[in-house]
Amino acid sequence: MLERLKLRARALLRARSLEAELDEELRYHLEAEAARFVARGMSPDEAARAARRAFGNPTQLKEEIRDGWGRRGLERLGQDARYAWRSFRRAPAFALTIVGTIALALGLNTMAFTIFDAYVLRPVAVRDPTSLYQVAWRDRAGSSRAFTWREYQALRTDRSALAESFAFRFLFTRMDSAPAFGQLVTGNYFSMLGVGAALGRTLVSSDASGPGDGSPIVVLSHDAWASRFGADSSIVGKTIRIRGNALQVVGVVAPGFAGLGDVPIDFWVPLTMNDALFVGDSLFGDVTHESIAVIGRLRPGVAAGQAEAWLASWLRARHADAREPDRPGSARLISRATGIELSPQFALFFAPIATAFALVLLIACANVANMMLARGLARQPEIGIRLSLGAARSRVLGQLLTEAILLAVPGALAGFALSRFTIGAGVRLMFATIPTELAPYLRIVPLAPDGRVFLFMLLASLASALLFGLAPALQATRPNIVQATRGDFESGYRPSRLRNGLVIAQVTVCVLLLICAGILLRGVGRLQRVDVGMSTHGVVRLDVNERAGARERTLAVLRAQPELRALAAASNPPFGGRYPVVVGGSASHDVRPLFYNFVSSAYFDLLEIPLVRGRRFSADEEREGAPVVIVSESTARALWPGRDPIGEQLRLAPESAGPRLATRRDAHVVGVVPDVALGTIIDPFEAPVAYYPSAPDHSGMALLARVTGEPEATMRRLDATLAQLAPGVVEDIHTLDVFVIGAVYPFRAAYWVAGALGAIALLLTVTGVYGVLSYVVAQRRKELGIRVALGAAASAIVGLVLRQSLRLCVIGLVAGLLLALGVARLFAANIVRLGTFEPAAFVGGALLVLVACLAAAYVPARRAGRADPMEALRSQ
Amino acid sequence: MPKKPSKIDLLQGTLDLIVLKLLRGGAANGWQLTQSIQAISRGVLDVNYGSLYPALRRLEARGWVTAHWAPSENNRRARFYELTAAGRKQLETERASWERFAHALGLILQAD
Repeated sequence: MLERLKLRARALLRARSLEAELDEELRYHLEAEAARFVARGMSPDEAARAARRAFGNPTQLKEEIRDGWGRRGLERLGQDARYAWRSFRRAPAFALTIVGTIALALGLNTMAFTIFDAYVLRPVAVRDPTSLYQVAWRDRAGSSRAFTWREYQALRTDRSALAESFAFRFLFTRMDSAPAFGQLVTGNYFSMLGVGAALGRTLVSSDASGPGDGSPIVVLSHDAWASRFGADSSIVGKTIRIRGNALQVVGVVAPGFAGLGDVPIDFWVPLTMNDALFVGDSLFGDVTHESIAVIGRLRPGVAAGQAEAWLASWLRARHADAREPDRPGSARLISRATGIELSPQFALFFAPIATAFALVLLIACANVANMMLARGLARQPEIGIRLSLGAARSRVLGQLLTEAILLAVPGALAGFALSRFTIGAGVRLMFATIPTELAPYLRIVPLAPDGRVFLFMLLASLASALLFGLAPALQATRPNIVQATRGDFESGYRPSRLRNGLVIAQVTVCVLLLICAGILLRGVGRLQRVDVGMSTHGVVRLDVNERAGARERTLAVLRAQPELRALAAASNPPFGGRYPVVVGGSASHDVRPLFYNFVSSAYFDLLEIPLVRGRRFSADEEREGAPVVIVSESTARALWPGRDPIGEQLRLAPESAGPRLATRRDAHVVGVVPDVALGTIIDPFEAPVAYYPSAPDHSGMALLARVTGEPEATMRRLDATLAQLAPGVVEDIHTLDVFVIGAVYPFRAAYWVAGALGAIALLLTVTGVYGVLSYVVAQRRKELGIRVALGAAASAIVGLVLRQSLRLCVIGLVAGLLLALGVARLFAANIVRLGTFEPAAFVGGALLVLVACLAAAYVPARRAGRADPMEALRSQ
Repeated sequence: MPKKPSKIDLLQGTLDLIVLKLLRGGAANGWQLTQSIQAISRGVLDVNYGSLYPALRRLEARGWVTAHWAPSENNRRARFYELTAAGRKQLETERASWERFAHALGLILQAD
C-alpha cells in the first residue's frame, strides 16, 4: 500500500523522468530484440522493423502503463473541473444560489460544531490531558459527595488507581467588587498539570501540602491579569484582597490555560488558605467534613472501569461504619481531558441540538439537489448526446459529481466565514441581551477554529456534495438511448418521485423546527407570566462571607441605610437553586421527602407571602432557633389531610436531619403559607416545604433587603456603601428579579436558536418549493399549453399546479406535526413548565408553513396559467 | 504439411505468476524475461510484450519486485527487476493456488 502510494507520488512529482525511464526501457527492449534478429542474419534495418512489429504499438502500451500510475484519473479530474467551471460561467445565478445555500447551512453547522469542539473535543492545554479524571461518588441516597482532607491524603498515597492526584475546591467570590471564579488547590496542581507561569511563578508543593503551609499568596490566570489588572507587568509582589484577606500575587499563569472544566478560572490560591477563606469551615479540623474534590492521573495500564471498581471498594472500606443512606453507592471517574466530558447524559442532551442543525443542512442539501435535478433537466439533451455518443456513464457521473464538489468547496469556504461571523455576533448578542448584572458570570471558553473544525467542514462539505450531487447525477445519466436517438431528450426525464420526496422532507423538517420554536416561545412566555406567589421586585439579595464580625457589621450598615424598608434572611433564598431535602412526616402518616428552608421572622412579610393560617415566627423563636415550623399548603394537605395543621407535630427522620435540624426533629406547626416558587422557576411550586426559624446573623444565611427607589441603582449604592463601611464582606449582591430573568434566560436563548433555525428552514423550504414548481411548470409547458388550447381556463391551470404543491405540503405537514408531538413529549418529560401540547405552537407553525408553501407555489402557478397554447402547438 | 501447433494465449492473471517465478532465479530485465518465457515454454506460450511491461510496473507498484538500472550483457543500460521478500511470499501463494486450480481442473477434465 505504502509502496503504491510512493509510486503514485513519484508519478505525480517526477512524471517526466518516469516517462523517460519507460522510454529508455522500451528502447532497450527493441534494440536487444533487433540484435537477436541481426544475430540470425537479418540486416539492421530489417531487424529493427521486425522488432517493432513483434512489439506492437508502443504508444498504446505507454498509455496502459500510465493508467496504472493513476495519472489518467487526475487528468480527467482537471478536465472535469475545467468543464464544470465553464458551465458555471454560463449560469452564474445558479452557481451562486447553490453556493449561498450550502454556505448558509454549512456555516450554521460549523458554528455549532465549533462550540461543541471547544467544550467537548478540544483537550485542555496541560500535559497528557487524557489521563486526567475527577473522582466523583454518590451515596446510597443518591447525593453527590466530596472528600475530606484525610481521605484525600489516603487516596493520594495509595497509588493503586491514580498515579498522582491533586485536591481542589471552588471559590466563588469577588475581586475588586467584580465576580471572580477561583480555585483553592494543593501545591502539586501546576506541576502535575505541567502548566508554567508567564510571569513570576505558579504554586509549588511547599505552598500547600498540609496544615501549617498556608502562605497568603495567589496566582492569576492570564485572562484575569489582562482584563482586570490591565496586563500590569509589575503585578508580581502586589497584594489583592479576596474575602478580606490580603493575598500576594506571586505569578501569572501561561496563556491558554484557565483551569480544568467548562468555566474559566480567574485565580488559584493554596488549599491551605481554606480556613482563612472559608471561615467556620475548617479543612483540617473536622475530620468528617467533606469539602474538597480530587482530580488524578490514571495509572498507566489501568482502565477507567477498573479504577472505578477499585475506588468503589476503597470508598466502601473507608465508609464502612457510615449509616445506610451515607454509604457509598457508586464511584465514577469523570474525564477532565476536555472542558465537558462526552458522557452518555451529555450526548443525550446534545443530540436534539445537533439533530436540529443537521436537519437544516439536510434541507439545504435537498434544496440544492432539487436545483441540480432541475438543471439536469435543462442539460438532458447535452447529457443524452454524450451518452449516446458512447461516453461511459461513470465518466459523465464523475463529471457531474466534480461539479457538485466544485460547488461545495466555495460553499464551505463561505460557510466558514459565516460561522466566524455568527459566533462573534452570537457572543455579542448574548452579552447584549443578558442583564448587565449577570454579564460578569457569563464565561465563554475561546471559540477559535482548530484542525477538528476544518476536518468537520471538509467532511460535511463532501458529504453534502455527495448528498446533493449523487442523486441528480444518477437521475440525469439514466441511460435511455432509444429516446436520445429519437432526438427526444426530455420526456424520459421525470425524477418526480425523488423531487417530491425532497420537498416533503423539507416541509416536514421545517414544520418540526417551527413548532419546537413555538413551544419554547410559549414556554418562555409562560415562565415570564408565571405567578411566583411573592413579590420579588425591589428586593436585593446579599451574600456575605463568614469572617468574624462580617455579618454583624453588614447588618448594622444595612439597617442604617435610609433606602432599607425591610430586612430578612433565608438559607435558601428564592431562585437561588433547588432546596435541600429532609425526610419527615406527621405522627400518624408515613414519612415523605420535604424541602426545607431556614428563614428569619420577616421573610414572609418582606416577600409579601401571605399567611394562610396561624402566625409568623416570633423574634424569640428566630433567635433561639425554636422547634417550630411553618409549612406550605402542599405539606399541610399531604400530612394532615382535612385537618387543621396548626399545633400538629412535624417529625423528621433522625438519620436525615443534619446538625442544624437535630434540635428541631419534633417541631410544632405554627403557620401555613401558600405554595410559592422555590429554588428554581421550572420546578413545580406544589411541593411540600417546611420553613424553620433562624436569625439573619446565623452563618450561611443570605440576606434579603426590600429597598426603595429603582432597585438596581439602590443595589449599586448599597454595594458601594458596604465596600466603604464593611470592606471585603459582600460576596455577591443582586436584585432578586435578576435571578428570575437569569432562570428564564436559557429558555429564551433556546427559543432564539430554534426560531432562527426554523426561519432559515422556512426560507430554504420556500425557495425549494418555488424552485421545484417553477421547473415542474417549465417541464409541463407543452401539456399545459395543450390544455389551454383545448379551452381550460387559466384559473383551472393555476389550481392544478397549486393542488399539486398542496398535496406535497400536506403530507409534509402531517409528518412534521407527528414528529413535533413526539419531541414535545420529550420536552415536557424533562422540563415541567413546558407544555406537552401547545395548540398555538402547532397550529401556528403548521399554518405558517402552509401559507408560505402556497405563496411560493403561487408565482409558478400563475406562470402556468399564462401558458401560451401557440407555443405548445408549434413545438410539437 | 503438418499444421504447426498454434501458440497458446496466456490465461488471465498467469503472467504475474510466470514473471515472479522467473525472477526467483535472479534479477532479469524485460527483454531477458521475454526470451526466457519463450525458451522455457518451448515457444508454446505467446507473451505479448505489450502486457509484460505493464505487468512489471504493476508488480513493482505492489512492492513484489524492485527495479534498478544496470549494464546488460551487451553493456547497454537496462532496467533489471528483482524479487522482494513480499514477492517471494506472493509467488508461493500464487503457485499454491494455481496448483490447486490445475489439480481441480484436471479432475474435472478426467471425470466421465
